[in-house]
Amino acid sequence: MALLEIKGLRASSGGREILKGIDFTLEEGRTAVIFGPNGSGKSTFLGSIVGLPKYDITKGNILFKGKDITGMSTYERTQLGIGLAFQYPPSIKGVRLRTLLDTMNPDKEAIDHTSEILDMSPYLDRDVNVGFSGGERKKSEILQLMVQMPDLLLLDEPESGVDIENISLIADALKIILEKDKPIKKRRRSAIIITHTGFILDYIRADKAYVMMDGRILGCGSPSEIFEEIRARGYKECQKCLEEAKKENHAA
Amino acid sequence: MQPKVDKDRLLDVGYDPGIASCGRFLVLDHSILEASHGIKGLEVLPLADAMDNYPHVRDNLVFRLIEKDKNEFTKTASNLPPVGYYIKVEPGVKIDMPFQAGFLLESAGATQVIHNIIELGENSEAHIINGCTTSQETHKGRHIGITETYLGRDAALGYTMIHNWARDVDVYPIGAILVGENARYISNYAAMTSVKKTVSYPVARVMAGGSARFYSIIYSRRDSYFDTGAKVMLEGDASSGEIISRVVSDGGAAISRQMISGSSPGSLGHMECSGLLLGNKGVIHSIPELKGGHQDIDLSHEASVGRISKEDLSYLMTRGLTDDEARSLIIRGFLDIKIKGIPYTIQQIIDEVVDRSVSGSM
Ligand SMILES: Nc1ncnc2c1ncn2[C@@H]1O[C@H](COP(=O)(O)OP(=O)(O)O)[C@@H](O)[C@H]1O
Ligand SMILES: [Mg+2]
Repeated sequence: MALLEIKGLRASSGGREILKGIDFTLEEGRTAVIFGPNGSGKSTFLGSIVGLPKYDITKGNILFKGKDITGMSTYERTQLGIGLAFQYPPSIKGVRLRTLLDTMNPDKEAIDHTSEILDMSPYLDRDVNVGFSGGERKKSEILQLMVQMPDLLLLDEPESGVDIENISLIADALKIILEKDKPIKKRRRSAIIITHTGFILDYIRADKAYVMMDGRILGCGSPSEIFEEIRARGYKECQKCLEEAKKENHAA
Repeated sequence: MQPKVDKDRLLDVGYDPGIASCGRFLVLDHSILEASHGIKGLEVLPLADAMDNYPHVRDNLVFRLIEKDKNEFTKTASNLPPVGYYIKVEPGVKIDMPFQAGFLLESAGATQVIHNIIELGENSEAHIINGCTTSQETHKGRHIGITETYLGRDAALGYTMIHNWARDVDVYPIGAILVGENARYISNYAAMTSVKKTVSYPVARVMAGGSARFYSIIYSRRDSYFDTGAKVMLEGDASSGEIISRVVSDGGAAISRQMISGSSPGSLGHMECSGLLLGNKGVIHSIPELKGGHQDIDLSHEASVGRISKEDLSYLMTRGLTDDEARSLIIRGFLDIKIKGIPYTIQQIIDEVVDRSVSGSM
């Protein structure tokens, strides 16, 4: 049984259809990466999986651990083991990062230890994301996920705006969560990583890659092949695939 | 007969015998049950005794900052023998241990009339915490509280007031503060429980180099009505004022009036009123006013009235928090004002009062 199985997912936001029929599966212990140009629907895809209220799922199903979670609240989904690192996390005035982490997980030692790994200890007494730089926000997201320890990590551009040293800190943390030191069969946690630049792939191995365009997922393949292709020719080739996919849809 | 004192309710407003204090003052209805002080240079007396013993108090301090016929409440007070404290700190004496005062309304339907005088000598320092509450069984009554405060040159006062009244009580604190040259006045006010009506608008006059800062936290529940605020008059050169309030309406009404006026060079004034509406029923009305009468003066204000952001809420919920947990974290955060210059024990008392009522209302 796949950990995550998505069938014919359509979702809209603000009255506009963004995801236009997505099929997607992810096995336990695997990491998938999704490439795609700006505005193609990547964040909407992750947000729909965790159930952010701003996205309306209009069609299709999401199965997680064999359960249909399509109609569940965000809270229920988190209790089943889904976690999201936001591309643009909000800042929350008056709420100290430490207070939020304590509320999530009463294990103070784990919190201190995790903060050290990410070099975030000095930020624990600051308000969540208030005045954080782009890179600090991303580290704060990963820190929160590490304290949450979900079975499925949804990582929305975890490396964008982060300098090289900090990308490697983030990658180290992710490797710990994803148990990358264990053989594939023994890994339990899975991830979907969205990346624009592909930098994160220099640090973390993904098992499969997908390209998203205009609310659809086009083909899949090995992460390095697909990334090379995009690097060499941009998303032009994908554009052609998209036209073909649309034609097929019409024909069907 | 030994009067019954609701110690638990007093504890809830910070009147806590377990906390080290430099003195205590307790009023039950109209009776003064305690007036004590344990530090040289600090004197605490029932105001009536102080007026009998010290002509200076009677002639120069009582009804000097506030006029007797300012309104019906001051008139009422001026026609009664005064019940309240006279606190005097000698020049140069600095006390960082808090002074605790408790005002308990016990008899249902009674009107409690209080008159307090605070006098800080030059270069002295004190921190006073006033807890005002009803007994557990008492829901109805009225409290009128007049406080006249005099700070000498370079003096510093932290004045904290915690209200924990009941649903059918109306409350009229009337305050006036004279802030001497280079003196510093900080007021903290927290009112987190139901009340029928609270009207309060203390006025501070600030002399050269002095400062007056007012911080308030108001939580207006269903059927509660708050009309509160502060006024700072920057009268001396390079004086400064700050008024910061956080107002939550959980079905109740809250009017927040803030005024800073100044006409002396080098003066600074800033105010902030943030309102958070939790339901559809309540209303928050923010009235900021600035009046500047000199080119070398800097006055500013920020005001906002809004709801809990859906985005913030769903962000916290992706971390595994329930809707209630996420809301109370946001509300608690909203009410968190970082006050500088008050002792840790007082900050702790304020934090506990806020924590208790935010988590209790979820
Ligand atoms: N609430 C909304 N209302 C209208 N359009 C939206 C809303 N949210 C996202 N969109 C649009 O949907 C498209 C996909 O957005 P997004 O999923 O954030 O893309 P990506 O993450 O791939 O850059 C974009 O064109 C975006 O402007
Ligand atoms: Mg995005």
